[in-house]
Amino acid sequence: MFANRRKTMEKNLSGKTSFRNRGWRGLSAVLVSLLFALVLSGTAFGQNIVVTGTVTSTGGAPLQGVTVRVQGTDTRATTDASGKYRISAPGDAVLNFSVLGQRPVQTTVAGRNTVDVTMANITYLEQVLVTAYTEQRRGDITGAISSVDIAQAQKQTGASVLQRLDVAVPGVTVVSSGSPGSRSTVRIRGVSSFQNNDPLYVIDGTPVEESYLNFLNPNDITSVQVLKDASASSIYGSRASNGVIVIETTKKGIQGPPQVTLRVRSGVASPVKGYNDILLTNSLDYFKVLRASYQNAGLKTPTNIYGDSLNPSIPQYIYAAGSTRPAVGGLDQYGRPINVNTAAYSYPNALIMPGSAGTDWWGAVFGTAPVGDYNLDVNGGSDANAYRVSFNYFHQGGTAIYNDFKRGSIRANTQFNRGMFNFGENVALSYERHYGGLPDDPGGYAEDGILGKNILMQPVIPIYDINGNFAGGKSTGLGNQGNPVKYAFEHKDDIQKNLNIFGNAFAGLDLTPAISLKTRLGFNTGQNAFAGFTPPSPEVAEATFNNQIDENTTQFLDWTWSNTARFVKALGSHNFDFLLGQEANQATNHNIAGSLQNLVNTGVDSRYIQNALGGKKDVSSTGSKSALLSLFGKADYNYAEKYVASFTVRRDGSSRLAPGHQWGTFPAFGLGWRLTNEPFFSGNKYFSDVMLRYGVGVTGNQLIPSGRIVAQFGGDLGETYYDVTGSGSTIATGYRQTSIGNPDLKWEENKSTNVGADMVLFNGAINLVVDVYRRNTNNLLFDPALPATAGLSSPPIINVGKMRNTGIDFSVGHQAAFWNVTLNGSHYHNEIVSIDGFQTFFYGPISTRFGNQVINEIGHPIGSFYGFIADGFFRDAADVAAHAKQDGAAPGRIKFRDVNGDGVVDNNDRTIIGSPHPKFTAGLDLGARRGNFDVSATVFGTYGNKIFENQMEFYVFREFETNVRNDLLANSWTPTNLNAKYPRLDVSDGNSSTISSFYVKDGSYTRLRNMQIGYTLPSTAQYLPGARVYLQGDNLFTKTNYDGLDPALPAANTFGPAGDVRDQYRGVDRGSYPSNRVFSVGVVTSF
Amino acid sequence: MTMKIVSKNRLLVGTAVLTLISAGLYGCKDFLSTNSVPQGTLDAGTLSSKAGVEGTLIGAYRALDCTNNTSGPGWGCAASNWVFGSVAADDSYKGSTKDDQPPINDIEGYHWGAPKGQDYINQKWTLTYEGVVRANSALRLLKKVVASSPSEFSTADAHAVEGEALFLRAHYHFEAYRMWGNIPYYREDETDFRKANETSTEAAADIIKDLDAAIALLPTTPRSKGRASQWTAKAYKGRVQVYAGQYAAAVTTLQDVKTNGPYALEKSYDRVWTGFNQFADGPETILAYQASSNDGEPNGNNANFGERLNFPYYTHFGCCGFNQPSQNLVNFYKVDAAGLPLSLSDPANWNSSDANFTSANTALVDPRLDWTVGREGVPYKDWGLYNSNMVRDPGNGGPYSPKKNAHEEASGSEQLAGGWSPTQQNSVHMHLYRFADLLLLLAEAQVEGGDLNGAMANVNLVRARADSTAQGCGFRPTDASIVIPDSSAYPGCVGDKRIAVPTNDPSIKWATYKVSQYTSFPSQAYAREAVRTERRLELAMEGQRLFDLRRWGLAYAAAAINGYINGEGGGAEKTRIAYKATADVFAQKHLLFPIPYLQVELSKTGTTQNLKQNTGW
Repeated sequence: MFANRRKTMEKNLSGKTSFRNRGWRGLSAVLVSLLFALVLSGTAFGQNIVVTGTVTSTGGAPLQGVTVRVQGTDTRATTDASGKYRISAPGDAVLNFSVLGQRPVQTTVAGRNTVDVTMANITYLEQVLVTAYTEQRRGDITGAISSVDIAQAQKQTGASVLQRLDVAVPGVTVVSSGSPGSRSTVRIRGVSSFQNNDPLYVIDGTPVEESYLNFLNPNDITSVQVLKDASASSIYGSRASNGVIVIETTKKGIQGPPQVTLRVRSGVASPVKGYNDILLTNSLDYFKVLRASYQNAGLKTPTNIYGDSLNPSIPQYIYAAGSTRPAVGGLDQYGRPINVNTAAYSYPNALIMPGSAGTDWWGAVFGTAPVGDYNLDVNGGSDANAYRVSFNYFHQGGTAIYNDFKRGSIRANTQFNRGMFNFGENVALSYERHYGGLPDDPGGYAEDGILGKNILMQPVIPIYDINGNFAGGKSTGLGNQGNPVKYAFEHKDDIQKNLNIFGNAFAGLDLTPAISLKTRLGFNTGQNAFAGFTPPSPEVAEATFNNQIDENTTQFLDWTWSNTARFVKALGSHNFDFLLGQEANQATNHNIAGSLQNLVNTGVDSRYIQNALGGKKDVSSTGSKSALLSLFGKADYNYAEKYVASFTVRRDGSSRLAPGHQWGTFPAFGLGWRLTNEPFFSGNKYFSDVMLRYGVGVTGNQLIPSGRIVAQFGGDLGETYYDVTGSGSTIATGYRQTSIGNPDLKWEENKSTNVGADMVLFNGAINLVVDVYRRNTNNLLFDPALPATAGLSSPPIINVGKMRNTGIDFSVGHQAAFWNVTLNGSHYHNEIVSIDGFQTFFYGPISTRFGNQVINEIGHPIGSFYGFIADGFFRDAADVAAHAKQDGAAPGRIKFRDVNGDGVVDNNDRTIIGSPHPKFTAGLDLGARRGNFDVSATVFGTYGNKIFENQMEFYVFREFETNVRNDLLANSWTPTNLNAKYPRLDVSDGNSSTISSFYVKDGSYTRLRNMQIGYTLPSTAQYLPGARVYLQGDNLFTKTNYDGLDPALPAANTFGPAGDVRDQYRGVDRGSYPSNRVFSVGVVTSF
Repeated sequence: MTMKIVSKNRLLVGTAVLTLISAGLYGCKDFLSTNSVPQGTLDAGTLSSKAGVEGTLIGAYRALDCTNNTSGPGWGCAASNWVFGSVAADDSYKGSTKDDQPPINDIEGYHWGAPKGQDYINQKWTLTYEGVVRANSALRLLKKVVASSPSEFSTADAHAVEGEALFLRAHYHFEAYRMWGNIPYYREDETDFRKANETSTEAAADIIKDLDAAIALLPTTPRSKGRASQWTAKAYKGRVQVYAGQYAAAVTTLQDVKTNGPYALEKSYDRVWTGFNQFADGPETILAYQASSNDGEPNGNNANFGERLNFPYYTHFGCCGFNQPSQNLVNFYKVDAAGLPLSLSDPANWNSSDANFTSANTALVDPRLDWTVGREGVPYKDWGLYNSNMVRDPGNGGPYSPKKNAHEEASGSEQLAGGWSPTQQNSVHMHLYRFADLLLLLAEAQVEGGDLNGAMANVNLVRARADSTAQGCGFRPTDASIVIPDSSAYPGCVGDKRIAVPTNDPSIKWATYKVSQYTSFPSQAYAREAVRTERRLELAMEGQRLFDLRRWGLAYAAAAINGYINGEGGGAEKTRIAYKATADVFAQKHLLFPIPYLQVELSKTGTTQNLKQNTGW
């Protein structure tokens, strides 16, 4: 009775497993034999014997990590680095060999003591992928889907798995900064919209819209699939226009007693490059630049800091207490304080700052930082249930002082099987703490914060004043920067806390082998909170004496409920797979922000917003709400393993769009031809397997703020309120229209066509995947500027823009017995086709002090650089006279091209001067193993992208009297150095710094992103038997012509009234947190 | 058995799924619509009330100066037009350091087409038309409320609201008119924001038309101090008429206001720009931005936002040292022995001094110098003695600081807390139009109409007031953290807190003041020059000068500006301030600012540029 019940259950379970994992194609011969074996094992009992053996691949290489299970029992073993295993099993047992990437093997012991097994690669087209709502065999997929080698992607020290996708997947670019816990800007196949172009992340079936993904422990991830074209992604319809990244964490518990795996990695990070490599750190060297700038301008060199210009000296004091200097006994002949009465020092009104012979500001702020990642996971189960529980603690210190990121997470994935039913949940709880006031990719001028211009303080300014308080540049000629060490110190208690509960509960019913039903409730809820402090800064040129705290808290809940039914049937050579589904989604958030000024006590324990603790309180709250409803269906047809067709349609309703336009329909169609299964192609000695794919489809986008259908009104104390009674201190309520609504808001549509081929060549020696695509975005949703005559209200979001992306992705890999190599390459071309029917261009979202250097213009890529073309330097007066009339033209200054040839260099001569988009990106993965050693390396390269080196405003043109590059003096134009790198040093030259191609640099680079050397201890080792220990290096080596800090720039954190516009501002170097070079050591052990 | 269970399950599950799907579909409509409501905003319906209309009108007043939303790239939005009217003329230098606010370098150098300068010009355009949009919103909403619920408004209130909104619309268009001349004119029923510009003559006519309509609707006394009355509109109409060259009509209008209106000159010059609220909106005020501090807005954004950069640098104020008076302006305050402007009696030499005009200089000066300019050794209102070390970068901006916009310490009008440099924020009302300005416009029209005696009488009214008071000791009421020495320099000042004293007060040791009245205007040319000179002396640093120069024609403006830079009265700015040498020559095209290139582009429909650029740009 018991045995029978159990067998029935196993039967059901096996049936279920078959079509979960292997697709619809019925019970394969393997499974039939497996069932057969199951039945046998249930009844047969025999004497246990010790079985040993070696598992090798078809090429003869030993396979490590193969699970060897005695069928029907909990007994199991794992092969070691030389492929050897040892297990105790009955003489008539069936052994089950399985490992990822190889076809499972079953064999009977049949009394043998040695059982050697050879396992065959699962060929590319046989791989099973978790894609949209289902699992599919690659050979049945007509769309462009790339799988991430998850083991490779996990070899990184960042908090988010997203940071390495560009190496792993052709057609994907990722930018992020070296700041701990920084955001990753992932773009799939170019950029399709002026607004947010983040792909949709679907984690365990639950869609997520955010671009950090720090809450997800990379070690919990089992698979990442990137759905790149409409034919693959249109099942996600509304939100798939930027591609979909499907992430699964459902590592199955292994049947048997709990298996515990411990992964520990610890290391040290440092910036790949520092400003102290390129800036001056000696004050008198700086003076030489200053002197040349004044001398060349025919002006007297200031003496207030360095004294005699022919015999300069480090001042005893750069500043002593204000204009009337009560602490000063006098001034020397150069106006420098002497006989300073240091006893008169008083903070904040009478500061005394010594001169510095050379402050290395970079060195004072940046250095090494510890990183660590600690994981423990436990999995196990039985036929009726499976579980996996994991714990993670992740710590990444910032290479800047007082800055770090910590994450703790707990995940529980369980699944229960009861007859036809299965149910379970995947839930992760994560908590992040991000300390320090350094924004990882700031918007705005980006002059503030440690990076930007603060790190460019002059070397003569000391870090501390004579009493140990922070010093600053408080004299004429020392700029208006803030002390970056102070900035870091005062913001050390600024904290961003993110608490996330992410997961889903699901239930499935396998009604018949052909019909299965599934329901899933996914949720993402939590709280993000920030608390920060702004100190008074009496020591800087633009002194402030106030302090302030800011707090804000956002609570959010995003849930998705999906229900799907699947029908799978084979009729002769006709194979059908149908999926029907329905989904509802709601997202809400509520934010409360407040601030308090003039705190009486600024201690961390007093930083609360209460009347008694300080001066003026300011509190406000905001919120948003949006919803989606969807119906979708998918039909796949396969004839005789030769012809594949798939049709997908999704109908979505969005609350963000106008009534009457809320619903959009997104169809897609794909065809596949398995060429090698044709008689005329079979047995081809070069092509082992070839599939040609064609896909076309439409996806949608509705990622705009909620509530933009109607006009919105509001007001603000500092914007519409007014003292109309002339009281001097009371204001009357005022209103204005804050945004213009669009009652016709409808879906943005992205039509994509993809032609691809998957090829397995030379008997599996080489895999080649090539895809060519075109994506056209129509009815592009964005908020083109209206003329100012329409007022300041946010312009309506409308649907008239058009954009086109064309490109090619390829991946070629070779898997040999002891080594493997994969090269991913991609190219895309982005072009704006239409803006709003009126404008031919609009500028980027951020202006710097010298204006706007970014333009979005029809016929050019989004976010192109715009300005004058710099044609070298004026040679002499004759050259100036011969050139078109240019304001401020003089020998040694930059000559700008008269593009329109009208004889005057003016605004009309500005033109496109570069694109931040790469012409080609490539990722190279290399791996090799020999004995117990393995080694792997990952190289990433980007070519043809330009960087607008905005920091030159400061470290070349000395805007705001910042520090300068250490080669500036030697490489500036002089009458005897006509082909110099920089224009003539000239303090009165306000023209050469105009935005031009002089700032535009080649941003190409090739970087050794990761290198790992591992050693697997023998299973007989006394300590940590079978464990793998490794040494890892990240960003060890970079080859680039870019001479700024780091060519790997993050996207700026840029928002317009209609949301995220970061793609309109890429590749501008405004002093971003540089990438980290990390050396780490790790161990992975199971017991 | 198994089959039965399966069938039963199938039935159950099938029913469940169908129920769920139909429930989902049923809920569709509500689910999407309830989630589509914007959160935390007002809608048009809520504002359709008297409170909504009045609030919208308040919003229209607020646009007189920079708002939160326009502070963006800089201070092009300042109500006083200090960048365009003062720095771009001969009143002041940009000041501060050469690197701060680089767009002003372009404005100051007459490179108005340069990209950086365009930022400021575009900002002025943007805030000006935001004012128009807000005024039109109030008019539209008023019509709607009066039509839909007639009981909301009394006729008088409805007329007052309409009149005020029309007045504001006229004011904003006038600001655009004197910047750009050829401007588009927007009324409340217009929706084509890409329409073509009018000629400047048409624009002036439209402004006057709106003012006439406002005059007919407005009450004779304003509903509150900051609001427009019938007299405000009439006075403004006269101003527009002078700008439009309609001198006879202007004389009629302005004479009516002078004779019958409520306005008069303040007794003491320091009561015009003051932080003492009890003196604000005095008889001289026709239109002022009602700055307020400590009003509940945490960052002082309703205070003197547009003027907040313009303070001495190394002092209590902390920042920023912009809009520094020029050497030329300081020299211009010298008077001859008769107490009349030296520039009139000694046109060849009045400007010959390059030296810092400190308290040690004994030349006779108009007392308005020390209400207008902060200079070495002279009390700075009641903040103690000004000293040249207070300047951020004297090599760049000279030794002087602006003074009119600074508050008196004793006034208590300073913002007490708030974001960035609250010590530079105050509730000093920013004058957009005052009675002295009106008298001089009247005099200007009278000169052009040949009424030289009438003109002289008006100029003399202004000069008589100038003679009434001068800067006093202004001994600091609080001196705990004195950074400026008072007592050592002028022992007689100890304890003397008077900010304004008679011009011959014995406490004055830093200057010899003299200002007297004209006894005759011998010719129209002399009269014209006397009136123009008086405007500069009276209204210096108030953002009027460039607009005045341009109104007086190309020959006069070019002579003044190019003379200012290259040499007039024995002195040249290009030898005083190095960067002045790079200024473009003031020419015909500079009589109008270029319409912001961005706005010309945005006005395109197809390939048609609806906004026509001004000639020469």
